Amino acid sequence: MKKTLGIILSGIIFFPFLLLLGLSVGKDWRFPDVLPGEWTLDHWSELFQLQGDLTQSLLLSLGISLLVATLSTVIGFITSKYIAYHPKKKTLLALAYFPYVLAPIIYAAVLYFYFIVLGLSGNFFGVVIGQMIIAYPFAVIIFVGYWNKRMQAMEQLVYTLGGTPWQAYQKVLFPVSKGILMVCFFQTFLISWFEYGLTMLIGVGKIQTLTLKVFHYVNEANIYHAALASCLLFLPPWILILINKRIVFRTES
Amino acid sequence: MAGLIYALLFSLGIVGIIHDGFTLEYWGETLSGGEMWISLGYSLYVATVSSFLSIACALMLVIWGRAHFQKGLLSYAIYFPLAIPGIVAAFIVFQFMGKSGLLSRMTYGLGVTNAIETFPDLIHDAWGIGMISAHVMLAVPFLLILFLNLAKNERLEELSQLAATLGALPGQISRKIWLPILLKKSFPTLVLYFIFVLGAYEIPLLLGRESPQMVSVLIIRKLQRYNLLDKPEAYIIALIYSVLVLSLLWMALKNRQTSSSS
Repeated sequence: MKKTLGIILSGIIFFPFLLLLGLSVGKDWRFPDVLPGEWTLDHWSELFQLQGDLTQSLLLSLGISLLVATLSTVIGFITSKYIAYHPKKKTLLALAYFPYVLAPIIYAAVLYFYFIVLGLSGNFFGVVIGQMIIAYPFAVIIFVGYWNKRMQAMEQLVYTLGGTPWQAYQKVLFPVSKGILMVCFFQTFLISWFEYGLTMLIGVGKIQTLTLKVFHYVNEANIYHAALASCLLFLPPWILILINKRIVFRTES
Repeated sequence: MAGLIYALLFSLGIVGIIHDGFTLEYWGETLSGGEMWISLGYSLYVATVSSFLSIACALMLVIWGRAHFQKGLLSYAIYFPLAIPGIVAAFIVFQFMGKSGLLSRMTYGLGVTNAIETFPDLIHDAWGIGMISAHVMLAVPFLLILFLNLAKNERLEELSQLAATLGALPGQISRKIWLPILLKKSFPTLVLYFIFVLGAYEIPLLLGRESPQMVSVLIIRKLQRYNLLDKPEAYIIALIYSVLVLSLLWMALKNRQTSSSS
């Protein structure tokens, strides 16, 4: 009974991935056939053509997510220190929850006017800044609880010994915070990687990240490419989840 | 805040491409029209049902099936669904529950349905079954991991053993220990999850129907229309939604503070 339940649960968990993987290597899936009429690696082999639509989207998504994660993590780490020690910490932190509470797409909708005025609508940097509007507050939320008296004492010791603020970050604060910096980088990477609505709105559909590609293929009724794009969306998060879990286990042990 | 101020000024006719001096005309039209209220009501319905089903499923799994997730393959596998973005979850449900989806093909093969048309509408349907299914699919693994961690931190296994030693029945242990502690400790996350579903965009965009629409889809649709007169309405709905969500959050957190201090 216990074993059966385990098998059923495993089946439920892996079913969505198997469905997408099956569709990504399938062809000619006509009603009422349960399985595709043909199996092929043609869709996957398109990925190796650098000029291919999906390859371009994959590289674009990676570029945007890496940039958003790096900037949000570094800026979030530095500014969260000031917020953590600020007398109005609670108010400032409440503002960081704003984009999540209002839903990122609605937040982007009311800010869209400023993106047009600043010439950031429909381009790469506009999308990066747009995504940072949600990734950066998240980084602040992660880091703000990290700053404590011990960290403050370490920083002050650097100054007492004649160090500059840059040296304090470079030689002490960044190295001792490697773990939380990595966790924050992964989380903000995933926020950016999964983002659809805000990217669609601010990118005006011109910045075709993988999530936009999935929607585009579904609208075109091209389910095989939509499934392939979905599979590509899983891969980096799976790697990050495995690494992240290892970090958690290492911290616990 | 700058965005909300601009939205307010736009809706009052003070700024924007169609500004013609201060007016309450757009507010009057939006508040008296039914579309916004129906959309808000529909969003509340989808968020409530999705949250209830997700929480119930995750609680059942943690209370009766936690042993499966504490070691072995499932302890790792449970993290995999966290890698599913909203748009992909919507696509999976689309391919599984649509008229020509896998479920429809299986029911046809088993003789339950005899044509593609006889399979019921499970996506783009009035009850939002497709949308709710996608939200539940995304939320259950997340809530399960949350509840498993809370159970560990709150040492619920030890408490249960103690209760059992004192003569409590398994049902009593679930009702008097597991449910209240897990729900109380996860309350802020559950409220945030409810708000997340309320403002969801990708899933209703792919699985929802033309009318009624979830509030985020309605706002973006109105904002992107060629008819400029729809824009003030989009901003007004965004403002009302923001006030609604902030009030909801304030009430939920205030009630929690009151109950924890009493």
